[in-house]
Amino acid sequence: MPPKPAASEPTSAVHTLWKAYNENTSDRLKFIDAFLVFLMLSGIVQFAYCVLVTTFPYNAFLSGFASTVGQFVLTASLRSQVNPDNKNEFKDVSPERAFADFAVGSIVLHFFVFNWLG
Amino acid sequence: MLSRPLALLLLVAAAQASLLTLHAPRVTTYDSTGNGIRTEILKLTQKPAIPMAVGPTDSLKLTFQIIEEGDDSGKGVQPLQTFLRFYDPHTGEEGIQPLRVTAAGKAKFDLNMAKPPLSIPPTSKAPLEVTLILGSPKHSPVKLALFDIQLPESQPAPQHPDEPSFHLLPTIEHTFRPTQKVPARAISALFTLFALAPWGVLLVLWSQVFPGAPRLFSPSILPFTASLGAFELLLFWYWVDLKLGQVLLYGGVLGVVTIFTGKTALASIGARRIARK
Repeated sequence: MPPKPAASEPTSAVHTLWKAYNENTSDRLKFIDAFLVFLMLSGIVQFAYCVLVTTFPYNAFLSGFASTVGQFVLTASLRSQVNPDNKNEFKDVSPERAFADFAVGSIVLHFFVFNWLG
Repeated sequence: MLSRPLALLLLVAAAQASLLTLHAPRVTTYDSTGNGIRTEILKLTQKPAIPMAVGPTDSLKLTFQIIEEGDDSGKGVQPLQTFLRFYDPHTGEEGIQPLRVTAAGKAKFDLNMAKPPLSIPPTSKAPLEVTLILGSPKHSPVKLALFDIQLPESQPAPQHPDEPSFHLLPTIEHTFRPTQKVPARAISALFTLFALAPWGVLLVLWSQVFPGAPRLFSPSILPFTASLGAFELLLFWYWVDLKLGQVLLYGGVLGVVTIFTGKTALASIGARRIARK
């Protein structure tokens, strides 16, 4: 773990992290990361609405929130499986196989979400 | 074939033609020594105004002969069923006493209050109505109101333990959950915008980091993406209209198609990736 920077330069660590991320991550992974950010924001907005305004209709909130969470899990696992740096961890799983798993999982998730959307 | 309903029609007509009536119906009450207290010749069109009173030690005798109406030859009719019905109009209790009728149509009924028959229903202060019911296959059924009888008061009919449960129960008042409060339109609209905002963020981010899809519309890849899109459309259609059985059936068919298109697409991508290495 790199040593923490001095408190007077807190932006430096974030800046360094951001720079490293930008330079070292391929466009494909950034594409997936953008989707993950979108899912996170979507889930946060739905949860905030539920907390601030109303839980009605509850089933719609649950299915919408579960869809963001579930899709996030599936996409995160896809990202880790297609990342070339993780090739040693997933010797038996080709990126194509990972995508196929992602597609099947997403369809099943969407089916359950639509069932509950009401 | 045609003769059967015709025969029935004739039988009905014949039966309608013959009505039964009583000849010399007479009721008498006696006291415990056998002396007559009261005698009534029954007019079948009108009951005696005063009920026949029978005390605890008295007895009653009813005699009559059943004949066909309009037949003055004295030939009696022995019907299949002859019942005497005792009915209390206030409590609704009734008792049926079958009577034996001779071949000549003569019948008599003895009621001894020292040994009352089982067919007498529980009595109250009100008199019982006595009617005669005659049933014969060759005649129309007859119900004749004979007289009213005042018997000593008996024990009331035993109440069934479940009887109170048949009384009118209090009306059920349902309490429903109050209808859900829907938030104000402005707040709904505002949060709708918030909910759709992440899509804008996504599009902005994707426009900046699009990795390129050069072979998206090639014949090996396009069917696969089209199948995936078709799945999403199928689910939307299910949300709007379809039933579960239908979506599962269509999904199964589409799944088989997707397996084949997917194999082709991903195999070609994989081959390219390996060739590139």
